[in-house]
Amino acid sequence: MIELKSVTKRFGSETAVDAISLTVNRGELCALVGTSGCGKSTTLRMINRLIEHDGGEIHIDGRPIREFDGRVLRRRIGYAIQSTGLFPHWSVARNIGLVPRLLKWPAARVTERVEELMALLGLPVEQFADKYPAQLSGGQAQRVGVARALAADPDILLMDEPFGALDPITREGLQVELRDLQARLQKTIVFVTHDMDEALALADRLVVMKAGRIVQQGRPLELLRAPADAFVASLLGGDDRGLKEAAITPVVERMRPLSPRLLPQARIAREATLHQALAMMFRERVERLAVVDDEDMPVGEISLRGIVGAGLSEGRDR
Amino acid sequence: MIARCLKRWVAPLTWLVLLLVLATGGEWLEPLLRWSEPEARRVLYPQADLLTLLLRHLQVVTIASSLAVVVGVGAAILVTRPAGRDFLPLVAQVASMGQTFPPVAVLALAVPVLGFGTWPIIVALLLYGLLPIVRNTLAGLEGLDPGVEEAARGMGMGAAQRLWQVELPLAAPVILAGIRTSVTVNIATAALGATVGASNLGAPIIAGIVNGNTAYILQGALLIGLLALAVDSFFAHLMRTDQ
Amino acid sequence: MPGREAPVNRVVPTLAVTALVTWLWLPLGSIAPNRIVPGDAYLLAQAVGWSLAMVSCLPLLGLLAVAWRPTRSGYRVALALTLLLLAALPFWLALMAQQHLDPELPQARVGIGAAWWLMLFWLSLLLIELRTRLALAGWRLALSLVPVLAGWWLAGKGLESLALRQELAGREEAFGEALVQHLLLVGGAVGMSLLLGAAIALAMRQSPRVERLGFALLNFLQTIPSLALFGLLLAPLAWLSARFDWLSALGVSGIGWAPAFLALLGYSLLPMVRNTFVALSGVEPGVLEAARGMGMSRGQVFRQVRLPLALPVVLEGVRITTVQAIGLTAVAALIGAGGLGTFIFQGLGQAAMDLVLLGALPILAMALAVDALLGALTRRLDHRAGQTTGTIE
Repeated sequence: MIELKSVTKRFGSETAVDAISLTVNRGELCALVGTSGCGKSTTLRMINRLIEHDGGEIHIDGRPIREFDGRVLRRRIGYAIQSTGLFPHWSVARNIGLVPRLLKWPAARVTERVEELMALLGLPVEQFADKYPAQLSGGQAQRVGVARALAADPDILLMDEPFGALDPITREGLQVELRDLQARLQKTIVFVTHDMDEALALADRLVVMKAGRIVQQGRPLELLRAPADAFVASLLGGDDRGLKEAAITPVVERMRPLSPRLLPQARIAREATLHQALAMMFRERVERLAVVDDEDMPVGEISLRGIVGAGLSEGRDR
Repeated sequence: MIARCLKRWVAPLTWLVLLLVLATGGEWLEPLLRWSEPEARRVLYPQADLLTLLLRHLQVVTIASSLAVVVGVGAAILVTRPAGRDFLPLVAQVASMGQTFPPVAVLALAVPVLGFGTWPIIVALLLYGLLPIVRNTLAGLEGLDPGVEEAARGMGMGAAQRLWQVELPLAAPVILAGIRTSVTVNIATAALGATVGASNLGAPIIAGIVNGNTAYILQGALLIGLLALAVDSFFAHLMRTDQ
Repeated sequence: MPGREAPVNRVVPTLAVTALVTWLWLPLGSIAPNRIVPGDAYLLAQAVGWSLAMVSCLPLLGLLAVAWRPTRSGYRVALALTLLLLAALPFWLALMAQQHLDPELPQARVGIGAAWWLMLFWLSLLLIELRTRLALAGWRLALSLVPVLAGWWLAGKGLESLALRQELAGREEAFGEALVQHLLLVGGAVGMSLLLGAAIALAMRQSPRVERLGFALLNFLQTIPSLALFGLLLAPLAWLSARFDWLSALGVSGIGWAPAFLALLGYSLLPMVRNTFVALSGVEPGVLEAARGMGMSRGQVFRQVRLPLALPVVLEGVRITTVQAIGLTAVAALIGAGGLGTFIFQGLGQAAMDLVLLGALPILAMALAVDALLGALTRRLDHRAGQTTGTIE
């Protein structure tokens, strides 16, 4: 668990972070968003003491971070950044094994751990272990960066726009992987990004910052439905907010049981989002879709009215 | 604004004034030089007056460097055009390998082929001076942002227009840096020309070493040093205004 | 093959035709009865006869044919032809000596002519061109030069009368000494400048003021022509050694190794400091940030990350500095520092061009060898850093 209590950071006369308070619970993925220069990266770096905070307190698992030696603290916290920061003169395996070696793990255990992580992140050992970072594609380098951050099995992971420099397809793929990884590993993750879709897709808790202050925080849906002010509303997509909400709401939430009416031809997977269901309706020019499970068996249906939620506020659909 | 402009001229002008004072000072420098060599019969270099030597030095360097600029920039432009691209790898490699050749060795090798005197020196300086110019012009032209090139093409500029209005102006700082290196090296190498019979600012130094007369050496050395500094700071000034 | 035809290579034929012209119409060499008298120049046809001259041109014509349809195997043939021409070069001189040298005159000597030198030059250019086209690794090129050198060594036996060898014959000891002295001066200056340069670069990284001042000073020093700097150091050193006995006991004086060493050191510092400084400052910030973020200590970051990443650039500095010092040491001969430059200036003074060559050629060879070796080493280290490997998607 990470707790920030009215934490402040000044650079000269400029206040970069202004008395922010934030709690990230164990196993939670917290995304810090905001325009550039809003203090989100500074906040992140104060947590592993790459930058020292001037005022307030930061606690990790109940202990103030000032009690730890900076280096010892950082070895306990995973860290992944946008440019990956992979050491160009070290092989992939050596890069991943960095922190375990810093922690003086025995060599055999380091090797074992490196191989385990490479498997976890879909990097075949025989293919990648001896490659150098310059020989990797952007997506592969980013995976190595994440593997390196996870190497010593830290409880906490700090990520500063780790997928920022990637093309949309690779990025989406890695986002899915991170979500799966998080479901399995249950790390406490603080994640800085300026890509709102990324933040909405990944975050358990969304923290919007502006000029060094937290403007609003909460679950993504809460913020989408009730933005605190015009800034948050526009950051979250302005008039597109509804579509963003649809993009993170699964079809299952608005699905109704199969009706006695004729089953619609067009079908959509149960895991799909409302956004995808809308797109399907638009494409097929229909108002109803059959919802199917993994084996393509119909489990329910969803209608346009159901998606837009008309039924929710007006009571029952006729 | 004007003050800042003047300030930039201070360094080159100071060196130039010092250079001219020393070159034309003649008689009244004698006491100063006497101090370095109290016993010698004469302390002023007797063969020719320093101003003449300075002008000859400048003449050789100017001719060689101007030719080197024309030939070097021209060659680099040629091999970066579609028609000459075949030659680009060879020219680029020779230009970078050639700089490994010590100037003294080039000068020394020029003599058996071309003979003694001023012309061999000019040819040797021209050849050696070409290398940094070709290399930098190539680097400048090849290092342009491909986006700019593409935009120029996309706007419908012709090949010549692209060269004169886009490529050369953008590559100018790098080319100028090459010319600066070339001229600096040429000034130093030309002085060595005194050993192969050229009469220029190297002559007093050689004479001083041969006769054991420190005053001669000082005159030559100070003048060459000041000349190099004046020219170099002039280029530094040019490059600063260029940006 | 239908449709796709390799584009005509215009570099190889251009070089081949130029080589052909200079080879046939410039003097191959000269024969002089002794050291003083200028020799009689011989064109190739006069030197070895028309039929052999024609034979010597055949590989060049072969190159023209190959260049018409350049394929990879075609370039290999061209490389073989070029190596053959190179290996054969000294034999033409040996043939000339055999046919025209008067056995009655023991002092008679063979001089190398413009055609020969230019042929060597064109063939080197051809080698460079073919190496690029074939993307040949450095060591393979070096390996392919072994038979050439063997050929030269073999031909050398028939060329005792070569003026260059005759110049060397009387001076074997002096030549060896000069070579050692040259190497010592270069090695000393470069080694010292590496130590000092690293220290200065580290100091510069501590404070921007030291950085500005240091670069201004070193740039100033680098601008002063070598002859002038050697000259300017003469006077104060002479004065110092006259004042302090222990200095003169060390061998310091106005003339000799001391001013040469000091000047060499001064010139060597700029490239060394510049490269070391840039190398240490140029490490990508993301890498350093990550290193710190992973919990590496300052010392660990410097030793394990910054230094190894900087090493190729530092080595590049050593290469530039060494090549420069080899040339400058030649100039230092003028102030009595010894070294191979001595032969150059003696030769120029006596108008004995072959003596000039005796000094200049080893200097050139040394510079090229150092450049190639250190260049290869730098690339190797860089390769480890993956910068030359390219991205594999």
